[in-house]
Amino acid sequence: MSVTATGAGMRPIVVWEQPGDEQMFWQQDRMHFPNQLSLLEDDFIKFFYTEGFSAAAAGYELPIRPHARRMLTRHYLAIAPLQLSHEELEELGKRSEKNVGDAMARQRQRWDTEFLPEVRRMLAEWETFDLQAASDDALLAHWDATLARLARLSRIHFDLAIPMLLGLGLFDETYTDLFSAESSLESMRFLQGIPTTTTTTGQELWRLSRLALAEPAVRSVLESEAAADVVPALERDPAGATFLAELRAFLNRYGHRSELWGLSYPSWIEDPSPAIKMLKDYLSQPERDLVGEMESLATERERLTAEARAQLAGYPAQVREQFEFALAAGQAANYLQEEHGFWIDSYGFDCVRQVILEVGRRLVAQGVLAERDDIFHLRFAELRAALADPSSDLRGLVTERKAELAAFRDVQAPPVLGTEPPGPPPDNLIFRTMGKFFGAPPPPSDEPGVLRGAAGSAGSVRGVARVVRSLADAQRLQPGEILVTETTAPAWTPLFASAAAVVTDTGGVLSHCAVVAREYMIPAVVGTAMATAVIPDGATIEVDGAAGVVRILAD
Amino acid sequence: MQMDRSVPITWLGQHDCHDARLSGGKAAALSRLAERYSVPPGFCLTSSALHGIAPPISIPGRLRAAVVDAYATLAREVSAVAVRSSAVDEDGALTSFAGVHETFLNVRGDGALLMAIERCLESFFSPRALAYRHERGAFDAVRMAVLVQQQIVSDVSIVAFSANPVTAARDEIVVTASWGLGESLVGGTVTPDTWWVRRDGRVEAERIGDKRRMTVTTLDGCREVDVPRMMRKLPSLSAEQVREVVQLAVQLEQHQGRPVDIECAYSGGRLYLLQCRPITTLRSARDRAGPAPPEQESSTSF
Repeated sequence: MSVTATGAGMRPIVVWEQPGDEQMFWQQDRMHFPNQLSLLEDDFIKFFYTEGFSAAAAGYELPIRPHARRMLTRHYLAIAPLQLSHEELEELGKRSEKNVGDAMARQRQRWDTEFLPEVRRMLAEWETFDLQAASDDALLAHWDATLARLARLSRIHFDLAIPMLLGLGLFDETYTDLFSAESSLESMRFLQGIPTTTTTTGQELWRLSRLALAEPAVRSVLESEAAADVVPALERDPAGATFLAELRAFLNRYGHRSELWGLSYPSWIEDPSPAIKMLKDYLSQPERDLVGEMESLATERERLTAEARAQLAGYPAQVREQFEFALAAGQAANYLQEEHGFWIDSYGFDCVRQVILEVGRRLVAQGVLAERDDIFHLRFAELRAALADPSSDLRGLVTERKAELAAFRDVQAPPVLGTEPPGPPPDNLIFRTMGKFFGAPPPPSDEPGVLRGAAGSAGSVRGVARVVRSLADAQRLQPGEILVTETTAPAWTPLFASAAAVVTDTGGVLSHCAVVAREYMIPAVVGTAMATAVIPDGATIEVDGAAGVVRILAD
Repeated sequence: MQMDRSVPITWLGQHDCHDARLSGGKAAALSRLAERYSVPPGFCLTSSALHGIAPPISIPGRLRAAVVDAYATLAREVSAVAVRSSAVDEDGALTSFAGVHETFLNVRGDGALLMAIERCLESFFSPRALAYRHERGAFDAVRMAVLVQQQIVSDVSIVAFSANPVTAARDEIVVTASWGLGESLVGGTVTPDTWWVRRDGRVEAERIGDKRRMTVTTLDGCREVDVPRMMRKLPSLSAEQVREVVQLAVQLEQHQGRPVDIECAYSGGRLYLLQCRPITTLRSARDRAGPAPPEQESSTSF
């Protein structure tokens, strides 16, 4: 155990995992991992960061290295600058600028012609392996193959993510400098309305809701049954067969997404309730034209781009080239942010999860574990050892580890740990962009009942706040209410079609939540740090997305 | 040669335009340079045509027609022009009217052009211009000419000295350059890139400036904006372009017979000569300070 809990109300004591950890600056990444980490999830993140983030950062010769830790049962991330002389950093800076610049220019082509075909080959290898029929030896070999594939997926993920994120940052800075923009929301309008698997998922779900509206029997089931009972009810009703086939095809195609990043959460294929809940919400908005709304964003993007080009006609040629380079990089990045999320973070990780669940089932049958999901309390090495030799009894160990999580459940894990570096963070594209992605600490608010965060998506709206702790909890969100949550992953985004606005604790203007809120044209204030803690569920609030301000009007 | 008082308009590069009494010091100098160098095309409203005009300024109808006509000829290739004063006693070796008279950049259309010319003429009668002439003992009646020249949409603006004006080293050419039109460079609102180059082309030192501002042309004039952060520390000239500018400065010095400072610009890959003057501040050889050592600051964006 890496940490110990102290009594209630006392400052938790952190036990550092590795020498030197205390000197590093750790930030809790609640945007990706808002919940406590099981040990298997911790190993997964470390594997993903070592094989992916660190390796790609070294490949691009970036002057930083990432480190992941599980402290106080939570996920912390440190982006440590390399300790080099001024001259060495200069040299490295020049090389990495060139490496990443080259990658920015090629990112879309590389994804289409290299990465996506490779990812799909790996997915096919997972899907054609019959998990249930495999012998224990075959499953063990499959686990090793799974880790090898996961290493490759991780590397592809960050080979893509680094130029992608810096491309978004580059376009934002280029546009803001050239046109004296007051907010990043202005530049982001040039990247909107580009069809991605995320928007297609929302639109396909919307199309299903139109099918349901046209078939009275299906409509009646969706309107009257709870989300979990919809599929059995449709199976009983012969009039539901066509719709059910459509729904299943949708889930097979788009259903690999799960509530949050990582391996711990069931996909829509395992549990379609979240998708069905969204479908139910869509039925109550018969008049909307979601597809048309998104097309209008593309029209606006094209108009703005033409205007900007006309203005730039009198600028130096190198500036026009820089603008076009950054615009192409930003638009490719906006597309790839969603595509990599679907194919790697959702689909690929779901394939890894299915292998782990099969191991869990076998270890239960062999008496090693008490329940299938207890597998998440083992380290990767323990999982492999148990699979290779299922004679041990790990039930006691799992009980201890569950107790550890329980002991820390209500411990307040600080947003930062370790040693804050002296002075401001380095003022370069990498750190500026990371700040816009993860979000900077929000400006303090001295007005009572007023929260400040980052402007995520423009627009003002007043409504009932629904403070949601999980996607299952989001069943309570009614159309027209304001979603208040720690973070949102891709699986949450169809909710944006029925929510009036979204407010998060985490993230910045480049975070997934903010990007998707702009696509759905709903106001968003992100990175408030404390919205879920201070906004009472059911309170009436006012969200000013452009200003990044939330006002609590009445409890 | 007898001056032809009937000519209202002369073109840069034409012989009558070389006459400073007709076209003013600046235009006459450019006219002579236009014979050998790549000077943006333009025409001049001559001092004879403008003779006797006084506030309130209104260009006579016949001259208006001639201006519109000349602009139509010039605008077959380019629509935007720069309008500058070219005082008859301006830019001589002893007096410098730099900055006293107004300049209008990126002017488009007949109406805007005529208005810019009138505003330019008004500036001859500004208290500042009158005081300046008085100080210099230029008591004659105001003799003015106005230059209308193709507006170069500069990718990079350059000021080069054929001799180091700080150290007075005659064998060292100093080239300074930054993004966009020359106003930010000449006006001192930007830290430019600087190269110190020997006559044989050897680069002694270079300092890439953190170029934060640039002047750009807009739909209705020009303005100063931020340089995108990723471009601020990129060199504004390639090594080959620096060599080309150095060659131009050396040629002009030989041609003029004394050290010169020149303003020029790259636009669409082509080097234009915009201005060439003798260096008035150059003193005889004194202590050689040498180029300033590069400061230790980051030159990358990462």
